[in-house]
Amino acid sequence: MRLTKTLATALLGMTMLTGVSFAATPADTLVIADAIDDVITLDPGEVGEVGGIMAAKQIYQPLVTFDVKDPTQIFGVLAKSWEVSEDGTVFTFTMNPDAKFASGNPVTAFDVEYSLRRVVAMASRSAFLLTQFEISSDNVEERIKAIDESTFVFTIGQPYAESFVLYALSSYVGGIVDSVLVKEHEVDGDWGNAWLKQGNSAGSGPFELTRWEPKQSILLSANPNFWQETPGVERVFFQHVPESAAQRLLLEKGDIDIANKLGPDDHASISANADVKTLDGSSGVIYYMGLNVRNEALSNPDFVKAMKYLVDYDGIAQTIGQGTIDVHQTLVPAGFLGASDYTPYSLDIEKAKELIAASGVSTPVTLDAVVWNVPPYTDFAQAVQATMAQVGVNLNLLVVDGQQWLERYRAADLDVWVGLWGPDYPDPHSNAKAFAVNAEDAPDGSQSLADRFGWDAGDLSPRAMAALRENDTEARRTMYEEIQVEHTDTSPFLYMFQEVRRVAIRSNVEGLVLGLTLSDDRYWNVTKD
Amino acid sequence: MALSATDNVHRLGRVASWLATVAVTLLGLVALTFFIGRVIPIDPVLSIVGEKATQEAYDKVYFALGLDKPIWEQFTTYTLKLLQGDFGTSFTTTRPVLSDLLTFFPATLELATIGLFIGIVLGVPAGVASAYWHDKWPDHLIRIIGLIGYSVPIFWLGLVGLYVFYFKLDWVSGPGQIDVFYVGIVKPITNSILIDSALRGEWEVFWNAVSHITLPAALIGYFSLAYISRMTRSLMLDQLTQEYVLTARLKGANEFEVVLGHALRNAAIPLVTIIALSYGGLLEGSVLIETVFGWPGIGSYIASSLFRGDINAVLGGTFLVGAIFVFLNQLSDVLYATLDPRTR
Repeated sequence: MRLTKTLATALLGMTMLTGVSFAATPADTLVIADAIDDVITLDPGEVGEVGGIMAAKQIYQPLVTFDVKDPTQIFGVLAKSWEVSEDGTVFTFTMNPDAKFASGNPVTAFDVEYSLRRVVAMASRSAFLLTQFEISSDNVEERIKAIDESTFVFTIGQPYAESFVLYALSSYVGGIVDSVLVKEHEVDGDWGNAWLKQGNSAGSGPFELTRWEPKQSILLSANPNFWQETPGVERVFFQHVPESAAQRLLLEKGDIDIANKLGPDDHASISANADVKTLDGSSGVIYYMGLNVRNEALSNPDFVKAMKYLVDYDGIAQTIGQGTIDVHQTLVPAGFLGASDYTPYSLDIEKAKELIAASGVSTPVTLDAVVWNVPPYTDFAQAVQATMAQVGVNLNLLVVDGQQWLERYRAADLDVWVGLWGPDYPDPHSNAKAFAVNAEDAPDGSQSLADRFGWDAGDLSPRAMAALRENDTEARRTMYEEIQVEHTDTSPFLYMFQEVRRVAIRSNVEGLVLGLTLSDDRYWNVTKD
Repeated sequence: MALSATDNVHRLGRVASWLATVAVTLLGLVALTFFIGRVIPIDPVLSIVGEKATQEAYDKVYFALGLDKPIWEQFTTYTLKLLQGDFGTSFTTTRPVLSDLLTFFPATLELATIGLFIGIVLGVPAGVASAYWHDKWPDHLIRIIGLIGYSVPIFWLGLVGLYVFYFKLDWVSGPGQIDVFYVGIVKPITNSILIDSALRGEWEVFWNAVSHITLPAALIGYFSLAYISRMTRSLMLDQLTQEYVLTARLKGANEFEVVLGHALRNAAIPLVTIIALSYGGLLEGSVLIETVFGWPGIGSYIASSLFRGDINAVLGGTFLVGAIFVFLNQLSDVLYATLDPRTR
């Protein structure tokens, strides 16, 4: 009996352990729960991961930026004004004399020169945003050049739509660093990369880096020398909470202010809580299936078209998406210039059967579909597998880890890829280049999605490049609209959905601006009352 | 004189052969991990540069990582550096792997140690009770509790635990090691928040950390309780049917003396090894618990590095876990000797 008693006491003691807990985040700190173990650098010259870009965007400012609500409104940040030469290749920026870095140093054209040249020199994953303008280490000294402290000249290889060039400069690699400070920390010609990568920052933005604990947290503090309107909070704290349900509990409890990675189920279950609200934004992310035309069946246009009728778009959006995706069947995301609501396809088994009969492809056909092993990809793939099987198109789902999923697609070692595309800047070209331009038409000759899936885009490729060079916005819009209709009908890309970026926040949080592309959220106007 | 010299030679020989075994074990472990790391279909370059990078960016990283060299050369370079205590740099954290291990391991150490402590304190008595009242209701009850701890996914238990004890009852703090409020207050000494805050006299931070660790540690404790009580039970059942127990009873020894003084004393010897190895298992870190509780432990460090192809980090982590097992194995041998006079 004594033993039983001891055991009972011990168990009771264990459950009685209680702790102190605070029901609110500090009033001057914005706490954001996110999965940030993807971050491998905070150097604006090489960031590429969502979490890294998100943090770098709060620290570094570009020459120009755009209004998230209306991306056609482009305005200067570090640049006060700019002019474009007659032939459209020379962009001359006049610097804003008020701008200064967190160090107190003024922001000059030489800082811009240094920052953009280092992007080209470091040749990181994100350098393509600049090198696509035919800028390389051979010509960088003429093409990226400061004339004097207040004048910066950016010269591109051939004329493009002005807005396209400005969008590229507004992206994360366009973040300007304090060249005086960074040069002091250069080691062996590394452009200060080792110093900027981890524990330090040298920007002019509303926040500066206080501490980054890899795979744990990122702490930003208000820049005391900020030259524009003081941010609404003193600190921004990104906490690594990978699990959606844990984020939800933290948010409802008031231990975090923003939950960035809530799944549809958790969104549904917080809807009744008055202390929490949701904010919808666009990520520009498009979910699609890429069909490898090197496969014999998939090289047949009728067969490809049949497959487009074999997806239950509305059903998936309702049951799986639950408000986190919208049906979208063209290459330009909604919200961008030239976006179109062309949605010709819906689940139609009979129509698909006719098309397959017309194609001459004999069923059953088995296709290897490579799927990333996380939702929503697995859910999409299973739903599509079920409807396609009804007409003898059997998807052999290869559910793999994220890295392998990317590698199989890079190597074109698959028949079907269940994937996504997220634009790098809010210009239709970011997507048009990926889906509709072949390498021989691309200025830098780089491989696009079209090339990876073995597809010759025909005249769509030069037409997409022509749209890129069109400076009349209305004419440009029309060109993209026309390209999209033809592309949706003829390409081996089976567009399905656009992501609705839904973020859950505490109701006392005001002023959060969600970006138009992933990781462009703007935290500096946020206030907590 | 001559005799003691031979003794010393023997002793030295034993130490030398033990050291050789350890060295071969660890080297084998490194070699195995290294080659597995090279054949898994994860391209570390791609995980650094992303899928949109140009060939130029790809090549730059490929050469920087030394992947152009033959695999034997890569392995030799790595091993030679390792012998000098250089674990290389992790590209996913941008820091030397050694400092990563010193950051992430203490978090796991705290969790595993408290968890194991709970497991022993509750599991051993539960196992003894279970064996003593074999097939009676206390035995059934303890076995059911153990079975639940064993079979219910710890991931699910973690979420339910958070919902009940954090969200509803407010007894403990939520995911994370510490409230945002206290982040950065305690200057690190050992990188263990519990120890550092106590050493620095930051008691408010200490109690906050305690309220954060309570739930995950209790869950790990429950899990090891389930294991330890089950093993204790079967070892004790074995002992209680031995003739010496009967003899002791016939001689009139009281039950307390018989069960704890004789039977448990004998069962304790194999139990030590079981507990030591289960401690080793806990020190590998529980990826699931760490994920649910946003706990920066070694388990999720190794797992997330593996998924990015960050081989230096994986090798460093595996080496550490291997070294821990070797150490615990040795420790249990020493404890054996103390408990069992015959092996002295």
